Order: sequence, then C-alpha cells, then structure tokens
Amino acid sequence: MAIKFKKVDFKYQGNDNKAYLALSNITLNIKAEGEFITLIGETGSGKTTLVQHMNALLTPLSGDVEIFGVKINRENVKKKRVKLNPIRQQVGLVFQFPEYQLFEETILKDIIFGPKNFGVDEKTAIERAKNVIKVVGLDESYLSRSPFNLSGGEKKRVSIAGILAMEPDILILDEPTSGLDPLGRNALLDVFYNIHTKLNKTIIIITHDMNTVYEYAKRVLVMRDSYLVYDGDPIELFTKKNIENWNLDVPDLLHLINQIETDLNLKLPKKPRNETELFTQLKAVLK
Amino acid sequence: MKNIVIGRYIPGNSFLYRMDPRTKIIALIVLMVAVFMIPREAFEMMFVGLGLILILLLIGKISIKRVYLGLRPLMFLLLFTFVFQILFNKTGPELQAWTLNYSFLNIAVIVAIVVFWMYTKRFIKAKFIYLILMIIAIITVLNQLTLGPIFATRQLVVHEDALMIGFFIMMRLIIIVTLSTVLTLSTKPTDLNLGLEAVMKPLKYLRINTEEMAMIISISLRYIPTLLDEANKIMLAQASRGVDFSEGKLKDKVMQIISLLVPMFIISFKRSDELANAMEARCFVPGATRTRLHQLFWSRLDTISLVTSIIILIGSIAVRVVT
Repeated sequence: MAIKFKKVDFKYQGNDNKAYLALSNITLNIKAEGEFITLIGETGSGKTTLVQHMNALLTPLSGDVEIFGVKINRENVKKKRVKLNPIRQQVGLVFQFPEYQLFEETILKDIIFGPKNFGVDEKTAIERAKNVIKVVGLDESYLSRSPFNLSGGEKKRVSIAGILAMEPDILILDEPTSGLDPLGRNALLDVFYNIHTKLNKTIIIITHDMNTVYEYAKRVLVMRDSYLVYDGDPIELFTKKNIENWNLDVPDLLHLINQIETDLNLKLPKKPRNETELFTQLKAVLK
Repeated sequence: MKNIVIGRYIPGNSFLYRMDPRTKIIALIVLMVAVFMIPREAFEMMFVGLGLILILLLIGKISIKRVYLGLRPLMFLLLFTFVFQILFNKTGPELQAWTLNYSFLNIAVIVAIVVFWMYTKRFIKAKFIYLILMIIAIITVLNQLTLGPIFATRQLVVHEDALMIGFFIMMRLIIIVTLSTVLTLSTKPTDLNLGLEAVMKPLKYLRINTEEMAMIISISLRYIPTLLDEANKIMLAQASRGVDFSEGKLKDKVMQIISLLVPMFIISFKRSDELANAMEARCFVPGATRTRLHQLFWSRLDTISLVTSIIILIGSIAVRVVT
C-alpha cells in the first residue's frame, strides 16, 4: 500500500479560536498502482484537506498517515524526523486554482520549476516539458508564452503539466475539470485515463461531476462532514437508495439505463459504464 | 502565519467593544501623543505607562497572549534599536567596559559559534532568546579568549544613557503597538471605517477626500487576513512542487520568495479588480452622499474614556514640564 491513513483527525483553527473539524477518524488504503479513484462529497466536507494530507502538506492532528513507507504524524514532523520533500515528488498534487502556482516568465520555466526542485537537470526537464505540454492538449508554441496571458482553462492545463513533468507515481487532481468546456473536459479526463492505463499509475480525482465518477472510476470515496462515508465500487454507490442524503446525484447514463430497464421491462446483465457498452448490451438483449 | 494579528478583529464583550469607534480613534491618538510627551529623562514613567496598558488589557478583557503575538514580529526591530543604542550612544557615565580582542583564532571561534547557531536554531523553541545568547557568547569570546596574535583591540563601553534610551525607545514602541493592536482587535473593520471617516471630516476643508481615504484604509485592513490566507495557500501549492520553505541555501531562498510573491501580486491585483467590480455592481459611486445603516452613538462611556485619556495626556505633559 502506497498511502495508508490510520484513524486520522484534523481540525482547522478559526478566527474566533473555534476549531473546525475537517477530517474525523479516516482510515484508508491506496495502492501505488492500478487505481483510478474519484473523491466526491459536498463542498466543505474535507476533500481538499484529505488530499493535502496525502501530499504531506498537512500533518494529522492525531492518527498517522504513511506515504511510501514514510510515517507522518504530529510527533515525527515536529521533531523533523522525516523528510517531506521527496514524498511530494512521488505524490503529485494539482491544486484547484492554477493562480496559486504560476509565477515564472514563461510557461516552459514554470513547468520545469517542479522537476528542477527535485534535482532533475535542466535538459531532461525541458524534454519533459515539451512532452507534457502536448499531453495536456496544448502545443509547443505555448512554452515561450507568459503563463499570465492565458484563459482559465489553459492556465489549468499548464498547472497540470507542471505536476506531470515531475513524473509522480501517484497523481492527485483537485477538481481538474472545473472551468473547462465540455470538449476540453473530456479530452483532459482521457489524458488522465491514458496515464492510468498505459503507465498503470494510481490517479485520484476530486470532482463534482457524477458522470465522470460513473464513467472512469474504479473506486469511489465519499466524504461527508469530515467523515469518509463510502469507499468502494461506483455502481454499488449509485444503486443505493439514499445517496441524496449525501448531496449526490445519480449519473445521467444510469438514469437512462434505469428508464430503459423499466420501460422496456428488461434486465441488462451488467450495468454499462458508457454509451458504447450500453448499446452493445442492448443489441444483445433485444435480439 | 496565523500569529500575525495586525488588523484582525477578535469578537469579544467588554467596554472596549461597546465604545464608539470615534472615541477609540481619538483616544488612541491622545494616548500616543501622551507617550511621546514623556521626556527621556523621566524614563521611569514608562513603567507607569506599561502598568496603565496592562490595566486596560485586564479590564478590557483582551488576552495578553494575543497582544504578545502581535508584538512578536517586532522583536527583532526592538533588539536592533537596543543594540544600536548600546553601540553608538556614548553619553552619560560609563557602566561597564569590555575589552574586545580580535585575533584570527578568535574570529574562527566566532564563525564556529555562528555556524553552530545556524544549524541548531531550528531545534530550539525560544529562537529569540537563543539569538541573544549567541550574541552574548560572541562578546564573551572576544573578551575572554586571547588565542594567537591579537591584531586589534577595541573597547566595548556601555554607557548609562545608552541603556536608558534603548530601554526607553523599546518601551515606547511596545506601548504604541499594543495600543493600536487593542484598537484593531476590538473594532470591526466596518466600525473602524465609520470612525475614521468621522474623525477625518475636518480635513474636508483642506480639500482632501476623507471618505475615499477612510475606504482605502478600511479595505486594506480588511484584506490583510485574506491575503495571509492566500499566501498560505500559495505556499502549499509551491510546496507540492518541491519548494521547501523551511530550508535551503540563500539562492534557493530567493527563488522561494519569488515563487510566493509573484502569485501573491497577481492574486491581489485580481482581487482588487473583482472588488471594484462588485462595488460598482452595487452602485457604489465615489464621493456620493450616502445614508448609513449603522449610526454612531455617543454614550457616557465614551465621555468617560475620552476624559480619562485626556487626563493621562495632561499628566504626561506635566511630567515633561516638571523635568
């Protein structure tokens, strides 16, 4: 297991000295390879806090997090027994707002900033930059442009490229598709899916889009009020009765499938995950 | 980051919170003048001032820890003025003189001490005391050790005036910063804005747009905590790209600061632009006459507080006249 959470609690200190619970009693295991996880839950339920723990940016108040064998808890971090920086190369985290990280004169410099911090030499870093900029769907001419004269979607892609260039073992994305048009969103999700299938890397995506969850995820985590309330298969999640209580919604495709099944009075052998699967199954059943 | 309390309002319930913001601002100015009125010769009066501040904090139910946290960023400035006074003020009777012997070996020992300090300071909790200890250690080395050939000797003479004035200036700074922290801790930014506007009204006759100035001041006070939160988020985002803000060589440090400052500037400009749009969308017209949702009321408490502050001012003027 690459990432292990053991009874992790975390609180934020508010202005008025009140503590706001962000994580309560989280126990969780994530493998280094072959997982495609989506993390969902209403806003303020602790999703971002959870992924920041996976990157050792936050230290649990109690309990411990183990990332690639490095045990992170209050005591270890306080006494500086553990080195946190190498973890951040192994677990790449893309923040929700790209404005927080873009700062260089050119996009090229910004992309190679991460790899260079982790000791990659400039030549290799530039090679990687040329590669990743294409992976996120922009072309090489962008590399010489300033990161500040870009549209929101382009900024987002550049910030993702900056993390991809670090070549992390696990890739975590905090709402990577917010602010993108539908086509761009699908293209980007396909990029993550390709990274996942080709390199067998674990990908964790925070999203509010149930369709993304249903189509791509092998495993889904649901956060609610700082608790992890569900950890498992997406189909099972969406066939549960009370998911509205968690402020979730049934994906469009599943609505369609349910409609087809009740109206045509038939039963599909296996819940299809995308349109193509649905039609092949339908054809087989209707014959 | 969270320890910076300048401009942060902490909800509470005491007479300080019930006072009219105008009174608080005028009282702050009056008390500051009073502090500056105390002459150097009567530096014992600073203890009286400090005592009065402590009484104010106690009956105003403001936690001394909060105020101390506000003072902490100033510690180095305070130490700096103190050291400066001791080194360069050469009036008054001599208190103590140390002979400082400079030799190559002594300098080597000092370098060793500084390096040791730099590597161990991260494990020490009381960093400020540790810094003072290091300075004392260096002076002791220069004074006591006479290793190898000495190529220069100097006298470090501490004069009474230097100690006194250094202490005096330190106290003055502490009192002033505490007073202004009390104001911002106990006054909501909106109230502060109203108060400032009212207090600055006479400037209108000098053709200064007081309303706009009050708005500028209150917006900047309001945005200090917001920008600190933003800075925190940027630091996290850069940390996830391998920037280690706690360590690194000087060259790396420069890069770290740039990686923090550039997004900070961009975000501040963006925020101010958005704020301007939001204000315009709510029909904010600069200079237009407006009615107020919150009216300021002058109560007996305000009269008492103001009279008290003026009595303190008269007291300090009296001290100045007498000495």
